[in-house]
Amino acid sequence: MVTKEIPRTTAPAVPARRSPRRRRDGRAALLYLAPGGILLLAMLVYPIYQLVLISFYDYGQPQAVGNAPLVFLGFQNYVDLLENVQFWEVLAKTLGFTAVCVVGSLALGTGLAVLATRVRAWARVPLFLAALAAWATPAMAGSYVWLFLFDADFGLVNEVLSGLGFTGMANHSWTFDTYSTFGLVAAEVIWCSFPFVMVTMYAGLKGVPEEVIEAAYLDGASTWRTTWSITLPMVRPLLTIATIQSIIWDFKIFTQIYVMTNGGGVAGRNLVLNVFAYQQAFAGQEYGLGAALGVVMTLLLLSITGLYVRSQRRSAGWV
Amino acid sequence: MGVTTAPARPRSGRVKKPGRLIAEIICVVVAGMVAFPVYWMVLSAFKPTGQIQAENPRPWTLAPTLEHFERVLSGEGFALFFLNSVIVAVVVVALSLLLSFLSAVALTRFNFKGKTVLLVMVLVAQMVPVEALTIPLFFLMRSVGDVAPAFGTNHLGSLILVHLAFSLPFAIWMLRGFVAAVPQELEEASKIDGASRMRFTWQILFPLVAPGLVAISVLAFIHAWNDFLFAKTFIISNTENQTLPLAILVFFKPEDTDWGAVMAGSTLMTIPVLVFFILVQRRLVSVMGGAVKG
Amino acid sequence: MRTRVLIAGLAAVGLVAGCAPAQNTPAAGGGDEKSGTVRVWLFDEANRAPKEAAVKEAIAEFKAAHSGVEVGVQWIPVEGRADKFSGAFNDPASAPDVAEFGNTDVSSYAATGALADLTGDLSSWKEGADVLPAVLETAKSGGKTYGLPWFTGIRALYYRTDLFAELGLKPPATLAELTETAKTIRARKPELYGISVGGKYTYAMLPFLWAHGGEIAKQDGDKWKSALDSEQAKAGVAAYANLLKADICPPEQCANLTGTQSITAFAGGKAGMAIGGDFNRKAVEAGQAKGKYAIIPIPGTEAGKIAPAFAGGNLLGVFNATKRKSLAVEFTQLLGGAKYQEKMYVAMGNLPTLGSVQQKLAASDPSVKPFVDTLTAGTKFVPATAAWSKIDAQNVLPTAIQQIATGGKDPAAALATASAEMNKAFG
Repeated sequence: MVTKEIPRTTAPAVPARRSPRRRRDGRAALLYLAPGGILLLAMLVYPIYQLVLISFYDYGQPQAVGNAPLVFLGFQNYVDLLENVQFWEVLAKTLGFTAVCVVGSLALGTGLAVLATRVRAWARVPLFLAALAAWATPAMAGSYVWLFLFDADFGLVNEVLSGLGFTGMANHSWTFDTYSTFGLVAAEVIWCSFPFVMVTMYAGLKGVPEEVIEAAYLDGASTWRTTWSITLPMVRPLLTIATIQSIIWDFKIFTQIYVMTNGGGVAGRNLVLNVFAYQQAFAGQEYGLGAALGVVMTLLLLSITGLYVRSQRRSAGWV
Repeated sequence: MGVTTAPARPRSGRVKKPGRLIAEIICVVVAGMVAFPVYWMVLSAFKPTGQIQAENPRPWTLAPTLEHFERVLSGEGFALFFLNSVIVAVVVVALSLLLSFLSAVALTRFNFKGKTVLLVMVLVAQMVPVEALTIPLFFLMRSVGDVAPAFGTNHLGSLILVHLAFSLPFAIWMLRGFVAAVPQELEEASKIDGASRMRFTWQILFPLVAPGLVAISVLAFIHAWNDFLFAKTFIISNTENQTLPLAILVFFKPEDTDWGAVMAGSTLMTIPVLVFFILVQRRLVSVMGGAVKG
Repeated sequence: MRTRVLIAGLAAVGLVAGCAPAQNTPAAGGGDEKSGTVRVWLFDEANRAPKEAAVKEAIAEFKAAHSGVEVGVQWIPVEGRADKFSGAFNDPASAPDVAEFGNTDVSSYAATGALADLTGDLSSWKEGADVLPAVLETAKSGGKTYGLPWFTGIRALYYRTDLFAELGLKPPATLAELTETAKTIRARKPELYGISVGGKYTYAMLPFLWAHGGEIAKQDGDKWKSALDSEQAKAGVAAYANLLKADICPPEQCANLTGTQSITAFAGGKAGMAIGGDFNRKAVEAGQAKGKYAIIPIPGTEAGKIAPAFAGGNLLGVFNATKRKSLAVEFTQLLGGAKYQEKMYVAMGNLPTLGSVQQKLAASDPSVKPFVDTLTAGTKFVPATAAWSKIDAQNVLPTAIQQIATGGKDPAAALATASAEMNKAFG
């Protein structure tokens, strides 16, 4: 594994040095990749393959148990799904909801990270502790707490608002109107996801070499100009990763919506795709249909991330 | 960079004073707002049942009670489930760091065919909604259990494997960014100094990506610690291998949820995560202080 | 490059076409050993001690009667039961010998073939004849009985005695009077709900449906067909949805409430009446309405009649894969017998399913009377088919109620949609 160094005298011949190394890389790469690769192959690739298979069958609990025969359906599950008007409505709402959550957590997380690089410890530490507490709270607990705080009859928020003079808010239901409900859930999601963005971006920002910032400052740039034009572009790769990760998580949100909208809101108008999949398929043990939904969701996410990455491609950081 | 380093200046001296104070006030106010729901959860854990959801809610209670905590802690096997959760989470974190670092280095620094394909596959793996995979994974883990019981269904090993598998893709992606950010010149400089690749990787590269490792370990920990789904799916008959979230689940009865116990249980679940954070943050500070210089 | 893609594509098609999803291969049937450990799954409770104590007594008695036999109990959280049972079905080695499960799960569990048919065992059981027929029906699927009814849960009408006294109201004797009383309460006290009900509270809606003569679905041979589009069904559902109006329980607050949430509102002093179960008494006792409430059966459409209630409850069943069949059945009969049903009532407040025990309790404990009266007046159940769990999961009924309550659709249209979806699920 030890690459024998070429003597210093040939240092300029960098290209020549590269080719022998490239041939050796394959083996080294294999060694490094093997443990992770085998695990992922077994634990992810195989089940995903099974998932695609299941989506072509009528597969419920009786079939899984072996008590009923497997009926090959071809693309029937997909056709049923795409013909369902509700699927498209839910998809549209999911896209909108995801967009709000992603933009919200990125803005809040990045903004606070930038702020955190500029303040002294006495202000930064409480911020980080609070963010970590929000991040640490289990999704279910967080959802229920927010629900209680915004409860129509017993919630603290309505109590405070009506105390401040907005008497019309005394029994206001935050979870009745479709968009108000989505807003509330989005707030909770942003609350528990921004810490991840903040920690990640803070790590990246701290890694920006001091000299670069000093140089910009010496050239007369204001602090905000420096941030916007110099620092943020340098952490762009990290921002891209954080964005992609946020898109993937927020698109697949389940617990918060399920808990805070009592399983999809009034007449199912607050459903997002993952909750829709649960209701239509998994809760009733229609695994075939659920698998089809899973495949469709994956393809959707792939397209969305693909589009996003394309738009970012011109900047550095992508392979 | 070719910039003459300016005379040493305290970092904070660069920011104008009043601007900084406003920023600090904003930080503290935001901290308060963000922490408030957590505070509410802890408060509810101490409120008597009748006060948790009642008219005139107050952000304090005049009759704090420990009964909810008692109920949660005296639930059978709480300590055991806690231990199980700790084992799973710690092992998952350790292995995630190791495996993701190795993979990220391979994917970034080495050149070989199929790199992009692998990267994309790794990303796609994260996109599949996890609920859809539970049945295939159950059968898979059952087969694994036939060969290696400790890693099959009903055992903690299965949870470790599955959480590892779901943490790796993102960890690899994230670490890639950090590894890629370390300049190639550094590696070449260390080669000139006579270091082997292995030495460079572990003694120089590893500490340099510490911030990324922190973020990953925190994520992996939370993911493994708060998981309900796989714990419910894989641990069927051996209840001694159950994890903590299941101990809380019992308080969610469809018609009669015990909110005090739910809040108390959730509080108890949150504390170890915070402890983990604090430990890891300290480590970050010490590593950061020691590593990076030019 | 093209050829590579082509090969990959062909390989993929080959993989998909040539393979089938993983399935469990059902092992050979169970056994009938007379010693060893009988594994039992029981639902966990927030406060498990009383239930555990009663069960421990039963175990001691069982062990005394059978030497060389142990009983191992595993406590299952109710909310997580779906995955546990799924795991037990998919992996019979992990399955228990005896399990407690809800009667709404019977049909879908029976469809997996994992539960043993106890029809014969129950008819030969000396206490078997004492199980209330309506309750026994809830344990059946396809004519076979898959469990021993262990306890039942019934809902009735809770009302605030102090409010009624203050406003000079009588407890309603018909459903129409109930609506009027609710309106009066809210008119005179606008900060309260007349009655606390919810759009998602299906089990509170069903008595209205049934009292008006409607049915959820009717069985024709072995095919089920939705009966929600009948005139009586429309009248019943509309009567319930009328409670979700601004003058009683405004849709903004109430359209999305579940049973638990509506009882919480009552317990918190927010409502004059509520529909709650015998199992909700504890929660009400802990709240603001303590000592100021009473319970009566939900009235029917005519004075003197009681609306048929939904007979919820849990059963004790035996798994087919058990290696100790007769021991399992005997333990089930012991735990489900009169002696332990009474102990369970004392420990948990669960309503027994054996007639004799009920009568005994009704005589000695007045708070149980309204529920027992409702039971004896007649209870009904949801369609006993595996498709029902799918319909339930898809929220077909709550959606219809919510659409009517919010004015999104009129009762005829909402119920037509619901019927169509139900028929699609019935197949």
